[in-house]
Amino acid sequence: MHHAHIDKFAYQDSPIHRLDARAKLAVTLIATLLIVALPRFSPDLAFYTWLGPFVLLVLGRIPIQFVAKHILWALPFILVLALTSLWYDRTETTILFGPFQWHSTMGWLKCLTLTAKFVGSMLALTALICTTRFSDLLMVLQRWHVPEILVIQLGFLYRYIFVLIDKAHHTKQARTLRTLKRLPTKQELRIGAAMIGSVLVQSLDTSTHITQAMQARGFTGQWHSPRQFHIKPADWLFMAIATLYIGLLLHLGSMY
Amino acid sequence: MHMANELLSVPVAAGTFAAAGIGLGVVCNRVKQTISTDQLGLMGILGAFVFAAQMINLPLPGLPGTSGHLIGAVLLAILLGPHAGALVVSSIVMVQCLLFQDGGLLALGCNIINMALVPSYLGFALYRLILHQTHDTWRFNLAVMASALITVLAGAILVPMQTALSGVLTLPFSTFAWTMLSVHLVIGLMEGIITVAVLAYVRQIRPDILSHTSESSTAGRGKLLLVTLGMVTLFLSAFVSLYASDRPDGLEWSYAQRPDQPAFESMVQAHEQAKALDTLQSKYTLLPDYARRPVPMGHINTEDATVSAGWTSFAGVVGSLVTMAAVWGTALLIRKKTPNL
Repeated sequence: MHHAHIDKFAYQDSPIHRLDARAKLAVTLIATLLIVALPRFSPDLAFYTWLGPFVLLVLGRIPIQFVAKHILWALPFILVLALTSLWYDRTETTILFGPFQWHSTMGWLKCLTLTAKFVGSMLALTALICTTRFSDLLMVLQRWHVPEILVIQLGFLYRYIFVLIDKAHHTKQARTLRTLKRLPTKQELRIGAAMIGSVLVQSLDTSTHITQAMQARGFTGQWHSPRQFHIKPADWLFMAIATLYIGLLLHLGSMY
Repeated sequence: MHMANELLSVPVAAGTFAAAGIGLGVVCNRVKQTISTDQLGLMGILGAFVFAAQMINLPLPGLPGTSGHLIGAVLLAILLGPHAGALVVSSIVMVQCLLFQDGGLLALGCNIINMALVPSYLGFALYRLILHQTHDTWRFNLAVMASALITVLAGAILVPMQTALSGVLTLPFSTFAWTMLSVHLVIGLMEGIITVAVLAYVRQIRPDILSHTSESSTAGRGKLLLVTLGMVTLFLSAFVSLYASDRPDGLEWSYAQRPDQPAFESMVQAHEQAKALDTLQSKYTLLPDYARRPVPMGHINTEDATVSAGWTSFAGVVGSLVTMAAVWGTALLIRKKTPNL
């Protein structure tokens, strides 16, 4: 797996990418809070929450197929729980939807709301991650007084995930190329554990080399970045539009 | 086991977020005091190692055709100690949420508690208690196996507890809890077997890596015992509550209500102030009679829900769809023909 496969779109350039990371993170957090707070039987309201992130994704030039694939990948767990509502809430109701009428149950309403809420919050998070560099998010966390050691840990983790995933991938490929038939379970387990153990030992060796290299360059446990954040007129406009949108959704929610 | 935002209510999400934040603050403080600068790289690399190790699937003994992968909380707690282990697993959970969209942003607090803080501390405490200053291989394997299994189950039982507190699911707590426990029993066994096998390999190839973790400090044993007992109590209280009776307790039976004697009259005449207080309490208690509130926040009557949709919803949904299509279409038309990355 390569680095570019996960957050490659964060390195594009668009008006949304140029927005201040603090504004985007704050708006995403508030929007997610709103989605969670929506009434439990309001699939239409939950659906409206898709609109804002969708606009950001389109303006940020993020392919919708990519977003849809990510959401579908994460959907099964929530779908299983949402579908249980059909079984446990069979109170009959009639859902009126414009010219359409559907004699159904409250379970269906709940299932639809839960799924729509999930997609809404996934869209909001995707819009944030695909338009903001992870290093900028770390800087925001540092500005918001998240403990420095946690920020450093996240930075290291982000940097070396891909290196070690490549190592594990090579180990796995080497094993596959040497495998002619499946061995008894006990032997397979022993080999698998040896493979993981070998990646662990390699990781520890790598960490020693990295530490030595960093200390040679003067690393003292402090995280410095030359990047400065400035709130620009475009950021104010973004926050104003986001406030209006969230306010409108809150108003609609209060009418339930 | 990653929770989504939609399984939580705002108060529970906010509460767990705050609790996880405070917990992580304490952990960061402890880590800062106990580790040196040269171990920062090690923590980052070991976090990345867990991601990498999850790519390697191992066959499960006794369950032909199935395979599983390492979760890693107990392994990291044993290798790095509980504080650094908890910090590394928390960072993994945060990266999984932010980069891989595994788990909701508001559910991050729950996920950090369930998958990082509880497994790291409970796992390490159980491991040290069972190991008990010995270097016996059998006992070492038992300690690793038991701590891996119990921490997976402890994390799993917290999920239905948090959703029950939120009042989001229609699924009964007991059904959800049993399902989670049965599924995670298999996952826990698998985690135990893989962790034992990996540590056995490391013990054989690089025993120095594990040597510092097997040195038992007698000073910390009291604390470890308290942590273990506290967490096991929490776990058991959730588990045993599945069998909780909804009948009155001995005191209530003796003076207030007897389900077996419908004609029984209460022996106590409650005065007005007491009645008012009872009403107030039943109105605002989070879990009246240890059960989910019958009228949770955000609940609306069936009749209201029936008429809540209609033309307004139709117009809103269609309007949103049209807007999204218009935005997309306009963007496609006016966008420069530059390829995406």
